[in-house]
Amino acid sequence: MNNFTLGKYVPYNSFLHRMDPRVKLAMTVCLMVCVFLAYSTWSMTFLVGGILFILAVILLRCTHMGIKDVLKSLRSLWFMLFFLMIIYIVVPRQTHTLPIAWEVGAWVVYWDSFADAGKIMLRLITMMTITMTLTASTKPLDLTYALEWYMTPLKPLHFPAAEIAMTISIALRFIPTLLDDTSRVMKAQASRGVDMEHGKLMQKITGITSLIIPLFVSSFMRSEELANAMECRGYDPTAKRTRYRRLKARFSDFVFLIVANALLAGCIYMCVTSFDVFALFGVTAL
Amino acid sequence: MSIRFTDVFYTYNPKTPLEHQALKGINLEIVEGSFVAIVGRTGCGKSTMVQHINALLHPTSGVVTVDDFQNVPEKKKRSKNTKELRQKVGLVFQFPEYQLFEETVEKDVAFGPKNFGKTEEEAMEAAHKALLEVGLGEEFFKRSPFELSGGEKRRAAIAGVLAIGPQYLVVDEPTAGLDPLGSKEMMALFQKVHEAGATIILVTHDMALVKRYCDKVIVVDDGTIAKVTTPDEFFLEDIEKYSLDSPELYKLARFCIAHGADFDMKSIHGVTAFSEAIAKWKGVKHE
Repeated sequence: MNNFTLGKYVPYNSFLHRMDPRVKLAMTVCLMVCVFLAYSTWSMTFLVGGILFILAVILLRCTHMGIKDVLKSLRSLWFMLFFLMIIYIVVPRQTHTLPIAWEVGAWVVYWDSFADAGKIMLRLITMMTITMTLTASTKPLDLTYALEWYMTPLKPLHFPAAEIAMTISIALRFIPTLLDDTSRVMKAQASRGVDMEHGKLMQKITGITSLIIPLFVSSFMRSEELANAMECRGYDPTAKRTRYRRLKARFSDFVFLIVANALLAGCIYMCVTSFDVFALFGVTAL
Repeated sequence: MSIRFTDVFYTYNPKTPLEHQALKGINLEIVEGSFVAIVGRTGCGKSTMVQHINALLHPTSGVVTVDDFQNVPEKKKRSKNTKELRQKVGLVFQFPEYQLFEETVEKDVAFGPKNFGKTEEEAMEAAHKALLEVGLGEEFFKRSPFELSGGEKRRAAIAGVLAIGPQYLVVDEPTAGLDPLGSKEMMALFQKVHEAGATIILVTHDMALVKRYCDKVIVVDDGTIAKVTTPDEFFLEDIEKYSLDSPELYKLARFCIAHGADFDMKSIHGVTAFSEAIAKWKGVKHE
């Protein structure tokens, strides 16, 4: 239970950790959009995709995490990628720019299918790396404050920004608690002879029930206790809320914000004008 | 046959910023048939230690042997029959009421024996016996465990472990949150199980229980064994350095000595011995 790294805050003191969470959130969105834009040719797609991927990995390194951690948490996704590849190969394509890979009767497979699968894979890993950089360098609570700040303009429309922020922060707060509960109940049931790894299917199912029901019970109990505790301390969801710690953007934060936006603008420009860097040098790329 | 810890180290979350060394070289033997108390301040490693007995945790280095079961860091050298071990060692966690999940109390208690290969009838029989033993009569058998009171839930959960019929019973703070009568009954139950031949390992903060029931005290301090002694000897010294509190009797005796009484602390084993000492000090004839 303790070995999952995805979405876990890593307490170090890098420039990414010190950055304003609002700026970090904005940068994440900018980079994500860059990753998911469509570029003119395959070579451009992989060139821009590769550059963004390297940038994401460098940023992740700055939070003292490595690309290995991303790949480790992606382990379960390998199957999905494999499946995706098969779908791309099996399903016939309308358009293609690359030559035929093989042809068996009416079944024609172009290299485009492989390029598409590779593109999706690259996008996915880049996206994971970016998200991981964000979550590794930002305390969940700071992230919630940032979200709340972005939702503030909606307040005149009676949008419950503070309540949503509170709900998210409570949910985040209880993830480690629930994990602790899980490992505790798991251990208790293990000493009553439950074997989650081996054993027959029926035994595994009872094993899982013996884990889930106590977890449900304890989380309901916890939520009731928490609600009572909040009410006892005078929590009023409709009241105006102030913060003890206020977010403050510094000069460097603005610089990062401008850089990220420039990157986004550049990517959008390349996407809209079908810009091809290879054509500039007179190389005909695929 | 015994439980033996040899140079056991254990580290939580190794090689991360959250790394924490919980056990720092534990050497210990618990002989079969004893009633042992494990005491120490909160977070000193007591719970980590007892989880090694049941192979729920594997040492980072060192060996834990329970009879002929070897719990070692390397997977290959570790004994395979974990299930056999867990049948032999019953572990009652702190607040065990969280482990209840079945529709009826009897089914929940029968869950353990069934996992260890008993048939439906045998498991039910063991469950009924264990339930009666913990003081939950037949009227409880068919009720849902979730509608019981806190103390009854705790008993049902403990019955769930007793029904397995363990030779070694490890109980982690069984009396926490129970009313005085309830905890007295709980301890009487463990006493009974002990008399029936089981080895009891009691993790507790309550020194009165240690004085009353245990024949050996193991003091854990910051991941190491600070002391292995008998309760009578243990209470002679100042145990506040382990964040523990002497039983009231010893406090009273110390108070008397501080106010001029001249009896020997070593002779104060119980209330009778103490009252005799007082009588002697005050010059009252004892009849």
